[in-house]
Amino acid sequence: MSYAPHITGWGVASALGVGRERLRSALLRGETGIAPVRRFDTSLFTAQVGAMVAGYESDDRDPTALCHEFGSLALRDALEHARLDLDCLRTRRVALTLGTSLFGDQNTESLARDLAKEFCIEGPAITVSTACTSSTQAIGFAADLIREGFADLVLAGGIDALTPKLFAGFDALGVLSEGPCTPFGLQMGTTLGEGAGFLVIERGGMRDAVTYSVLRGYGLSGDAFHETSPDPRGRGVAAAMRAALEDAGASEADIGYFNAHGTGTMANDTAEWCAVQSVFGLELGGALPLSSSKGHLGHAQSAAGVLEMITTLECMGAGLAPTTAGFEGARPGGPPHPVGTKKPRPLAYELALSSNSAFGGNNCALVFGTAEPASAGTEEVRPVFVSAAAALGAGVSSMEELALIYESESAPADCSLDIDLAAELPRVDLRGIDRGSELLTAVTSRALSDAGVRLRGQVRERTGLIAGALRASADSLERFHRSVERRGLAKPDTTAFAQVLPSAAQSACAKALNIRGPQSTITIGEGSGLMAAAISARMLAHRSDSDRMVAAAVDVKAEHLSGGALGDAACALVFCTTPTSVQVAGIGIAGPDQVNAAIAEAQSSWGSKEAPELVIERPKPFAGMPASSSSFALAHALDVLRRGRARTVLVASQGTTASVAIILVSTEVMHDN
Amino acid sequence: MTTDLSGYVASRVAILDSVRQILRDTMKLKIEPEAIDPDAPLFGTGLGMDSVDAVELVIQLDGKFGLELAGSRQAFLTIRTVNTIVDAIMEVRGES
Amino acid sequence: MSLEDEYRALRYGSALSRMDHVGLVRLQGDEAIDAVDAVCSGDLWVRDGRMLQTLVLDEKGQPVADVYVCPDNDACIVMLEGITTEKFSACLARHADADLKFELEDLRPEHELFSLHGPYAWEVLSQWLTPDIIGLPYLSFYRFDRGICFRAGKTGEFGYDLMMRTEDAREARRELLELLGSFGGAEVSLETLDLCALENGFFSIRHGSLEGLTPLELQLQWRVSARKQFPGLAAIEELRAKGMSRRLTHFVAPGGVKTGDLLRGRDAAVGEVMTAAYSPAVGGVVGAALLDISVAHPGIDQFFVPNEEAAIPIRTVSSPLLVNRSLLVDPHHHRYSTREDATPLPLWQGSLP
Repeated sequence: MSYAPHITGWGVASALGVGRERLRSALLRGETGIAPVRRFDTSLFTAQVGAMVAGYESDDRDPTALCHEFGSLALRDALEHARLDLDCLRTRRVALTLGTSLFGDQNTESLARDLAKEFCIEGPAITVSTACTSSTQAIGFAADLIREGFADLVLAGGIDALTPKLFAGFDALGVLSEGPCTPFGLQMGTTLGEGAGFLVIERGGMRDAVTYSVLRGYGLSGDAFHETSPDPRGRGVAAAMRAALEDAGASEADIGYFNAHGTGTMANDTAEWCAVQSVFGLELGGALPLSSSKGHLGHAQSAAGVLEMITTLECMGAGLAPTTAGFEGARPGGPPHPVGTKKPRPLAYELALSSNSAFGGNNCALVFGTAEPASAGTEEVRPVFVSAAAALGAGVSSMEELALIYESESAPADCSLDIDLAAELPRVDLRGIDRGSELLTAVTSRALSDAGVRLRGQVRERTGLIAGALRASADSLERFHRSVERRGLAKPDTTAFAQVLPSAAQSACAKALNIRGPQSTITIGEGSGLMAAAISARMLAHRSDSDRMVAAAVDVKAEHLSGGALGDAACALVFCTTPTSVQVAGIGIAGPDQVNAAIAEAQSSWGSKEAPELVIERPKPFAGMPASSSSFALAHALDVLRRGRARTVLVASQGTTASVAIILVSTEVMHDN
Repeated sequence: MTTDLSGYVASRVAILDSVRQILRDTMKLKIEPEAIDPDAPLFGTGLGMDSVDAVELVIQLDGKFGLELAGSRQAFLTIRTVNTIVDAIMEVRGES
Repeated sequence: MSLEDEYRALRYGSALSRMDHVGLVRLQGDEAIDAVDAVCSGDLWVRDGRMLQTLVLDEKGQPVADVYVCPDNDACIVMLEGITTEKFSACLARHADADLKFELEDLRPEHELFSLHGPYAWEVLSQWLTPDIIGLPYLSFYRFDRGICFRAGKTGEFGYDLMMRTEDAREARRELLELLGSFGGAEVSLETLDLCALENGFFSIRHGSLEGLTPLELQLQWRVSARKQFPGLAAIEELRAKGMSRRLTHFVAPGGVKTGDLLRGRDAAVGEVMTAAYSPAVGGVVGAALLDISVAHPGIDQFFVPNEEAAIPIRTVSSPLLVNRSLLVDPHHHRYSTREDATPLPLWQGSLP
């Protein structure tokens, strides 16, 4: 049974105002939220402007506190729009999907944990941290949670705050325009912004709510091209758009408006225009109304996706196409006629496409609107198998070593890891790769190799990667912060800046190995690896844009420079749709205190009356590796099943912000049932 | 140009070694600095630097030699090879 | 057309040239790239759709081929200069693991290669192919309906190599020549290409004798791996341990300098000229010389070619010598038709000794 995700409300804290009504009236008046930066000194930078949340322009509190406040405001606004109160949330299966990429000292999932607590959200809280595509992807994952029945209601969105270090990093890269950005227009460069936005997405017909729009589908891809520049021919963006259309059961001719990522940099805008022409064709593409909201809101980074979608929703409801604020003429290489009127232009449309792209090449597109799908159609659910696993960490580098620790219950070794990745991948340029990227690439490469996968041709487009990571690699974080301390904000280490994202390891791995399919970096704190596995398996089961997904996880101990120990680890598992001897029988996802509910859900989706023969529930003995430990457990389960030591295994994790349970069985058992 | 050839060469070699060291560290190359040819292209082909590496290189050259390239139109002409960087430094020092 | 006219077309507009001196082979099979890896001196850090410039060396470490390696899914296209296809095949047989499975196909009998170079070469192609050619990154390639377009070039200007089946090539060449008319273009000879390569410091396997020379002296260490086995490795390591005694250095001179000329300083011989040619941009001779390592640096005025009448002074210079027009052209904003005739910077900013 597949449930359509209905959008019944939204809320914002944005540069155009806190609260959706303020946002709407500012949009309709064609205003911009970009102004000279007051929060910190910009005299050393090229750019002087930014789009701070209205009322917070001078607020220079700790960014985590700011983010929490923005998130809180936006959530309240959304709940009010959807006519929900906290009691409603408490009594329903409610989840939170949050896009954010903090690179402070805290783990990325802490924001979701705190907001979930504040808003009495008891279901799973999944954080997506893929920079500029974070909230777009969070919305996509929310759609899956609803469609597959894991939640009845999801609060989906993103939050980001503009800090001096962020500003410094982008400025040093030379991507900021001096004055307000003009996407698709004559100034080159982008303008940074911030804010928070949330959508209320729920199962239609569940309560008496107004459905403003239906989230029809989403698509993910990776450029596998460069740390900061997009593929100039827009191939990754086009792939994400096509995947979103397919997921939505729509064709490009059904799209009435396109909200572009449109940052205003030469690299992005030209690549994106190439993608539009590729997906829509020259004629349809040339006639497609499109605009970028970054002229109004700046580049709100992790919140860009949700704020831009809400901009579209507001205008769509008023029969308008959003405009590109500040547009005064088209740049060469970009679309010749974006919507660039002073105010939004009257346009009736039933289906919209929205797209975002990020550092490291992650792309995400969304399709939403009031148009009904052509046919209800029964969705084909594919069986999912596991084909290989590889683990590195705590003295473990093989399945045998892993088994030894689980079976003998001995303590894992406290020793550093020695990998010669250059020897394993002689034809990959690994210069400048950081510790997290190195580990993740090593296990992913080994797992794919064990699975007999050669990433050539179409296989690259149809292989994806979901990584669980709590933060950016400690060495990159340290290098970046140290460069700012020593050389000042005007001279940050830009190679380190490009890597201070939790998703840096995932993008570096994708680039090294040429993985171009759906990809993301998520965290639930403890248990992230198992959540990555759950997402990977579900994507394979319910989507048709990939044939295999690598579910991986990586931990880099902060003190790694003094010799890695228990905390430095990575693990990867390959899931696929071609039969192997081990099959995914059931998956359960629930709130952090609800591991039993997750287990029950997994058991129920398996449909067997028997209890699993082996249960691996605690992350021990691999405590101290929050992302990878649950993946190690799953890898061990695979090994146990392959060796015939058991026929059914349950792996569960009570994570920091969600609980996950996965039941693996030997394939013959599935046939027996 | 100075008539003191050995003095000139000594100055150049000192700067050459220093610039090679900076390049090696900036790009995290696993080679000896001497293995960086003085006339090897830095961008495109050759050492294969990209725009992100370039930013860091410019900061390092400024820090070590006071060579102000950031935001200058001439920057891309100066950082074509190690020798062109050395030329610029020699000029700043009045030694060319 | 005179060399000077051809040169002008290439440096300021666009030029077409036949590339009959370049061998083209395709190695087919998943292990094709491993075979190529075994004979090339450089690390093949190159992805599908990209190109990498490297060398094939003999056991003495001397370059015998200048190659572009172009991985293309389960095949690998190799462009060869300086070596016949047969010799390359023999090289593979000698050095690549005998168990590697691949098939080698000589593409030359059925394909032609010609190139477009120049600050507006991209504009010619954007009309002949598609406008998004300007998004093709340097050292990458893609397939179009009639062939493959490689973006490379050894002149310092925008450069595109077009590989096409012979039956399509004639018509294509005719179409391009016609287009060139509106771009100040011309067909140019190999001599002009070689001159441009010399001015921009590009290694050419045809520039003078390479006897006894290795990538160390030739300033091609960037094409040599620091970690893998390859033919010539032992010789290079030996030379590194001993220390090289000379290095290739570029120079300019007023005239009369030619290949093989000996160079002297105040008190002693300092080297010899490896290659030299007249450059219209410099208004004199540009060349490359093998100089004693102790003086192999740009910016030296003291050396000369001894001569009965009067010694010819040379000045050593950094390469590339020129401020190529292509560095100043932005395909998103500029057009040949609206270019400024009075160019803001001269091609060469130096002076003759």
